[in-house]
Amino acid sequence: MMRVARLLLILFVFTLGLGVHAQDMGEPQYAGLDMDLSGINIRMANIGGGTYEVMYESIPIFEEATGATVEIVALLDGFAIDQKLKVDFATGAADYDVAWDHTSFMAQYTNFLLPLNDFFSEDELAAFSPAIMDAATVDGNLYLIPRHADISPIHYRLDLYESEEIAAEYMAATGEELTVPTTLEEIDRQARFFVENGHSTFGYTLPGREEALTGRFYEMHFASGGSLFDENWEPTFNDDIGVAVAELLRGWYHDGIIPVDTTDLLWDGVAQYFCNGDTAIKLEWYGWYSTFQNPDNCAISNNFGLARGFTGLSVGGDAVRPSGWAGAHAFSIPATAPNPAAGAQLIKFLSSERVAYEEAQLGYLPVRNDVWDRIIDDAAMAENPLDRERLVLAQLQVSNDFKTPPLIAEWIPFSNIFYPLMQAIMLGDVSAREGLDQAAAETREMMADAGYYG
Amino acid sequence: MTLQARAQSGSSAEQPERRFTDQRISARWFPLFMLLPAILFILVIMLFPMIYSLYVSFTPYELLRPNSLKFELARALRNYQKLFADAIFWKSVGNTIVFLFLSINLSYVIALGLSQLLARVTQGQGIMRTLLMVPMMFAPILVGFQFRWFFNANVGLVNNLLYSLGLMQERGQIAWLVDEPLGMFSIIVASIWMNLPVLTIILLAGTLSLPRETFEAADVDGASSWQQFRYITFPLLAPFSYIALTILSLDISRAFDIVRIMTDGGPAHRTELIWTYVTRLAIENTWFGLGSAMSWVTVILAVVFTLYFFRQLVRSRVVR
Repeated sequence: MMRVARLLLILFVFTLGLGVHAQDMGEPQYAGLDMDLSGINIRMANIGGGTYEVMYESIPIFEEATGATVEIVALLDGFAIDQKLKVDFATGAADYDVAWDHTSFMAQYTNFLLPLNDFFSEDELAAFSPAIMDAATVDGNLYLIPRHADISPIHYRLDLYESEEIAAEYMAATGEELTVPTTLEEIDRQARFFVENGHSTFGYTLPGREEALTGRFYEMHFASGGSLFDENWEPTFNDDIGVAVAELLRGWYHDGIIPVDTTDLLWDGVAQYFCNGDTAIKLEWYGWYSTFQNPDNCAISNNFGLARGFTGLSVGGDAVRPSGWAGAHAFSIPATAPNPAAGAQLIKFLSSERVAYEEAQLGYLPVRNDVWDRIIDDAAMAENPLDRERLVLAQLQVSNDFKTPPLIAEWIPFSNIFYPLMQAIMLGDVSAREGLDQAAAETREMMADAGYYG
Repeated sequence: MTLQARAQSGSSAEQPERRFTDQRISARWFPLFMLLPAILFILVIMLFPMIYSLYVSFTPYELLRPNSLKFELARALRNYQKLFADAIFWKSVGNTIVFLFLSINLSYVIALGLSQLLARVTQGQGIMRTLLMVPMMFAPILVGFQFRWFFNANVGLVNNLLYSLGLMQERGQIAWLVDEPLGMFSIIVASIWMNLPVLTIILLAGTLSLPRETFEAADVDGASSWQQFRYITFPLLAPFSYIALTILSLDISRAFDIVRIMTDGGPAHRTELIWTYVTRLAIENTWFGLGSAMSWVTVILAVVFTLYFFRQLVRSRVVR
């Protein structure tokens, strides 16, 4: 009897606690509705397609509360909206008040954007992840308000790490316990072991072309303590760390650790290899989570785990750190906006706790601390414990490891110089040292032409 | 006849001639007047952008640096100097020549063979011709996606076929779009598939229009099928061949979409063509100055190529 009473008491206290916690959090609130904008037509050019557009369904609430009308002048995919913005900025035709932006693209637009510092209070900005706000600031000017973010954790096949036979085999082969890797060197050893012993078709996968390859190299180089450029914008990726990373990738390609068509793969191709269960370990964006967990589409469903990004190669010594190439979709205000103050109000609304929370429920990683608390709390009720672990891990990475590419307008031109040479290194056309030195020389010429060296 | 009468008769004789001259003047200017809108349209739409792009090619213009659109004599030729010193540019020129040579010539040879086979079909020729037209219904970008899937190493049709036939030990062993020269081979195959309908239809029409008497005389003289093709059909088809090849050489740049989707010039510039490289420089990097310089070099190459074919076309007509 006493035991039942004690159990009831615990249940009561627990329930009370949950209720109090829920009351603490309260209902998520909208923002940006406190200004009369009657008669103002706010024009917006933004990213569209798929679930990106769900957010815009809340705009009528903003229109009703403020009296403004919102006209969406463009809804295009990432590549197309970038092209539109460039042409509109260059020709002075950006006659809209809110524009799509991204932390990786922002640097090329800054000459054509309004600094947002005067439109947002310190309190309003404090709601966002500081690491992302740092990445959105150039020379003290804040150029974007983030919408949602993405970053890559390690994805690994659970069956490989839960098998006692494979663990014993690994111990016999290497003298080490088989645990989820935390360093790039551990990944190298384990990936080779899985392939050479027939446990997995491929040990690792990564995209091998365009900005995706440049970004993954940058991530490995950065995690190993390197930097693409020094403080004077001289290329430094051809240092010993860069050569070690390039040789690692070249070795993986040569030895069949990564697929033979790696240099033809972009994000979808890489995800397909993991989805099929053909890859043991890889870095992958959180955005693919729901795809991988769908048993109708992916053999890997319920058979993978997540871990924080690896630290780099030991050649970097004490400077090694967790990987964290990341990016955030965002909103900006063009310098030619007819109604910048009204545009700022719309951005406040779209980035408010309420709208951001609703978008996070679609699977996007939030950029607001208050929204993180809510969705982690929500995920506690999920059937699959990985749903919650994923979010806790993502928050840790976004808060601590978020790292954008160098904030220079030449990021894409640099990538177009770099990635073909990195491909040539992987395919064995040139040595790692030759390829990186050539890329550094061409990059330096480009930076000189752009006026970086006075 | 009095002097006055002579004068009158003379003036009446000049009158119609003057009217005739006026008519000739108006007849000469009237067509030009009617063509003026079209001429103005072409000037605005084509000539002005071309002249402007020529000007841009002598500047360091970058789209997102508006101030860079500035002509300076000292660095006017810098884009052209950079281009001619750029190994990737020359590689793309070489690849483009190889691509054009193989794609056009192989397309022609296959289309010639197909047209001869089709000309001999006695039943169902309509269906055969309709089937032949199928590739024309696809936009080049779709052809690119289709062949990208065919040649995909992981899930592609070709590798799976080879594996199913026992010609490959493991799935995905051949990286068609990566290995050299398979990447170039793959995009040429896709390009040929897209080129065949137009070429075959033109050559088939030419074959069917050839005089039957010549072949009947050859039959009487005991000429074999091969001899008839070699010494009668092929020479008589020459004007049709040059028309078909000229159309194809002007149209071949549509293959850009195919290459863009299948390999985008990669990996490591292995399948880089002039079109993919200029897109990377001008559109992706927004280096409009350098991109314009490269476009002008491309235009000059294209004009030389087209002039060559027209000269051959004229020569073949003279021979006939």
